[in-house]
Amino acid sequence: MRSRSSVLLVVAALLSFACGGTAGTGGTSTGATITFGAPLGLTGSLTKESTLTQQGYDLWVDWINQQGGINIDGVKHPVKVKYYDDTSSANQSAVLMQKLITEDKVNFLLGPYGSAATATDAAIAEQNQVPMVEANGAAQAIFNQGYKYTFGVLSPANKYLQGVVDMAATLTPKPTSIFMLSADDNFSLEVANAVRDYAPSKGFTVTLQKYKNGSTNLAAEVQAAKAANPDIVMNSGHLLEAIAINKAAKEYKLNSKLFAYSVGPSTPDFINSLGKDANYVYDGSQWTPQVKYKPSFYLTESQYVDAYHKKYPGAGDPDYHVAESTAACLAFQKALENAKSTDPKKVRDALAKLDVMTFFGQIKFDSRGINTYKPMVVEQIQNGQHHTVFPTDVADVKPMYPTPAWDQR
Amino acid sequence: MLRAAFTTKPTEGGRRWRRLFLLLGGVVLLYGLLAPLTSLDALQSAGFPLLADKLWFRIATATAMFVVLASAWNLVGGLTGYAAFGNVAFFGIGAYTCGMLISRAHWPLFLALPLAPLASAAFAALVGVPLLRLRGHYFAVASLGVGVAVGEVIQNVEYRGTPVFGGSTGLFLPIFSVDNRDLVFYFLMVGAAALTIGVTWLVLRSRFGYGLIAIRENEEAAAVMGVNTTAYKVAAFALAAALTGLAGGIFAQWNVFINQENVFPIEYNVQMILMALVGGAGTLFGPLAGAVFLYMLIQFLSGSLPVSLDLPFLPSDARPVLAQVILGLLLLVTVIFVPRGVIDFFGGQSRLSLAYLRRSLRETSV
Repeated sequence: MRSRSSVLLVVAALLSFACGGTAGTGGTSTGATITFGAPLGLTGSLTKESTLTQQGYDLWVDWINQQGGINIDGVKHPVKVKYYDDTSSANQSAVLMQKLITEDKVNFLLGPYGSAATATDAAIAEQNQVPMVEANGAAQAIFNQGYKYTFGVLSPANKYLQGVVDMAATLTPKPTSIFMLSADDNFSLEVANAVRDYAPSKGFTVTLQKYKNGSTNLAAEVQAAKAANPDIVMNSGHLLEAIAINKAAKEYKLNSKLFAYSVGPSTPDFINSLGKDANYVYDGSQWTPQVKYKPSFYLTESQYVDAYHKKYPGAGDPDYHVAESTAACLAFQKALENAKSTDPKKVRDALAKLDVMTFFGQIKFDSRGINTYKPMVVEQIQNGQHHTVFPTDVADVKPMYPTPAWDQR
Repeated sequence: MLRAAFTTKPTEGGRRWRRLFLLLGGVVLLYGLLAPLTSLDALQSAGFPLLADKLWFRIATATAMFVVLASAWNLVGGLTGYAAFGNVAFFGIGAYTCGMLISRAHWPLFLALPLAPLASAAFAALVGVPLLRLRGHYFAVASLGVGVAVGEVIQNVEYRGTPVFGGSTGLFLPIFSVDNRDLVFYFLMVGAAALTIGVTWLVLRSRFGYGLIAIRENEEAAAVMGVNTTAYKVAAFALAAALTGLAGGIFAQWNVFINQENVFPIEYNVQMILMALVGGAGTLFGPLAGAVFLYMLIQFLSGSLPVSLDLPFLPSDARPVLAQVILGLLLLVTVIFVPRGVIDFFGGQSRLSLAYLRRSLRETSV
């Protein structure tokens, strides 16, 4: 007890010092530091993605502090993020979440990485009535619990391949049939079922074929696709399955006009392991470095990519994990500015009413707290490079269509 | 050598240590039971100082949970001598029993909770019969297999294309809507811990317990002496499963969200065994001491305790990793040097115990 109260005293002393130090400068004064908290799997199985998440948060923190802080009713509040390492364990994430709220008294919460940790932490945020914006859980279940304090900036899983369907409807000669392959895990099925339900409204017939999650021998499924002779072959699965399908498609000369995979092609591994066979493949992505939105604040896409290169030299282009994490911070920034207060309830209400355009796309939450307003972008691999091809207003090139037959590439 | 903790005849010095330990334990217990009450709104408004906040509750509740897990493991691993590596399966089954009944059938918690230990025990009895025919490494590996398999099955079972148990999404339980819900879960979990210790105490002084120890020391001899080894082993397995399942059931409602990752974590398997071993497998209070000590250590190293020390050789960002290393080292040191655990270290007869050291010092100096 004694140690905690002494810590509080020190904090109070520092704060009064900070306020006193700037009072004489005139203009906008500096307010109390706003602290965000985030437990991340900085060690353990989710280290890679968690580190990308942290990079996304830190990029914004650097930027906003260069501006002097978040402008709340004329007072600029500097920002700090308090991280803990949850060793990639959801149960440990819960303890640290409580620590952030109770002991560290953070003002707001940024999401952890991983759907189990996000779901657990959402329940804690709800019970403590502290707003949390998360950027790394696309499964909709978290948002179907009626929680009032959790918001997600991602497009939900059911949108993953919807962009490809929309794009296909604009192509000539118009494709009409889709053969949908899907792994049987929950996320993949959510993606696949959404296509099955949505595509008929755009004039497509859909055949759905499921396979065991994690399969790498998908010859039988690809042969079934060849027998159906579809215009479009889609896969909802993961990187290894996408690679296996592409290899089998070549082997069995499955010559469809369009190949689109939910997850996989956006990673460098896909191109590295398939070489030129990776060309022409489409995928749905939360964000790409090429998108052209018209952000109303913060950085543009190209400035963002530059800022990332500058802060993390040698890390390549920022991928969507980084961008969506930054977007979560942007949601908080705008909500705080709009609320003109750091009161958790007022900020929650401001988040619920938020509607802004950022480099990541539109951020606007539906009544459940999920960002259903941002479209997924469609990427295509052209000559070994990722390009954004849809929606047309954010695309950097036109789609290469139709995909030539395997023996004519 | 047929010897359980309660049959040891501590030396004079050992008795003093033990008395000190019990006194200390009593004080800690009293604090543990009384401190939470200060967080009641009535006491708050009456001006009582807040001794327990929400973080304290979470850590204390989790500690009590590990006391249950380690003590329940002790019934099989410590008393019967079967190194079970899959007890987390019972935790998960208990959690999913409660989770399904509450989130799908909308049962109230206190109706659903009694079924969690029943489901776990029934499952343990079922798999126990074939599993407990194996011994040594074979049993360890097979039980680990069961622990992993149950989680996979629960995640993947489908009926007409819909996952029966929530699939990889998991289950969301409604948030338990009472005031002071932290208090409720804390006392539930402490109650479960007390029940587990009580059950162990009863087993240790019953014919059943003697039978289990006989099996541990020499199974053939026990059979010859008329111990129905199969029935005894399965009963111990099911008893451990029931207690573990009870903790799982409480966990489900406490944590609100459960999925395979949450309630079948493989690291719990390792941790509960380590806690029992470090504290003293086969003893009554050993697993309790081990659970409290190790869980506090893990939390201290991960930086979530209100107390934190700034140690120059222990940078804070390296601590969570170090926790894993330290746990491994502890296991090594315990198994090699203090095979009967820290409980034995204070007052036991092991050659590495303090009592032995004092005894031999006294003898040599005379």
